[in-house]
Amino acid sequence: MATFELYRRSTIGMCLTETLDEMVSNGTLSPELAIEVLVQFDKSMTEALESQVKSKVTIAGHLHTYRFCDNVWTFILQGASFKSEDFVQNVDRVKIVACDSKLLSQ
Amino acid sequence: MAADTVFGSSHVLDSSSSTSSHPLSPGAGVVPAIENVVSTVNLGCTLDLKAIALHAPNAEYNPKRLAAVMIRIKEPKTTALIFSSGKMVCTGAKSEQQSRLAARKHARIIQKLGFDVKFNGFKIQNIVAAYDFTFPINLIRLANSHFKFSVYEPELFPGLIYRMKQSKIMVQVFSSGKIAIAGAQKRDEILKAFENIYPILMSFRADK
Repeated sequence: MATFELYRRSTIGMCLTETLDEMVSNGTLSPELAIEVLVQFDKSMTEALESQVKSKVTIAGHLHTYRFCDNVWTFILQGASFKSEDFVQNVDRVKIVACDSKLLSQ
Repeated sequence: MAADTVFGSSHVLDSSSSTSSHPLSPGAGVVPAIENVVSTVNLGCTLDLKAIALHAPNAEYNPKRLAAVMIRIKEPKTTALIFSSGKMVCTGAKSEQQSRLAARKHARIIQKLGFDVKFNGFKIQNIVAAYDFTFPINLIRLANSHFKFSVYEPELFPGLIYRMKQSKIMVQVFSSGKIAIAGAQKRDEILKAFENIYPILMSFRADK
């Protein structure tokens, strides 16, 4: 089953990838096993975000650019605010990468 | 020329009131506003749509739905559909010159990505204009008396579709008094259709 690899670009995903790369160059881990770990990471992230995350955030800002290619939406927002029940965070520039979850179960 | 403008300005003063002394022709300066111009042009080379979708700003490419990249620009506010054959359709401009300028800007975006772009056979394909008569119109009576030219199916579409006899111009007439003229390739065709439909609609006013 194919997975969405976009979570590998998050901080935690990048740390995992770095660590696995180190272990593979050391020889302590085989490359195939490293790939299996990353695939499991993709699945666990998707599952966790789907079932364990309950909070809702509203993102508002000026849409600077958008792109839709390979069923992936990429947005660049300027002067964006992330609002939820407990907090408000304002940022000058944010890039949003979004995949269609319906494509996972095809 | 001076006489025309003197005559013209009195026309405008008269037709602004409901008791116009010349109800059968639109006064000077009374013209429908152009709302949309659609044009096509051939960029003259094959294009890699995926590369364009990945590198051009504000691009959408969903090959399962449409075999073209859709790119929007802010000024003039237009949308272009670009096909792998190199042909392009530009929609949303408010005038013929703006449509040409927008098409050139879209072509420039493609050129900047490294393609050997030309600007062949630019042609305005469709001009859409709108006008508000500000009085209600009786569509049933209009459809009955002009049955040869009218199609009015209120259950399908609330507007009456009036096709002029000689030309391919289509006028959508709504009971609010607003109309849309479409199908023209030249601005004069719009103005001629408007001049033809003006007296017809005047005679089917639904108020006093």
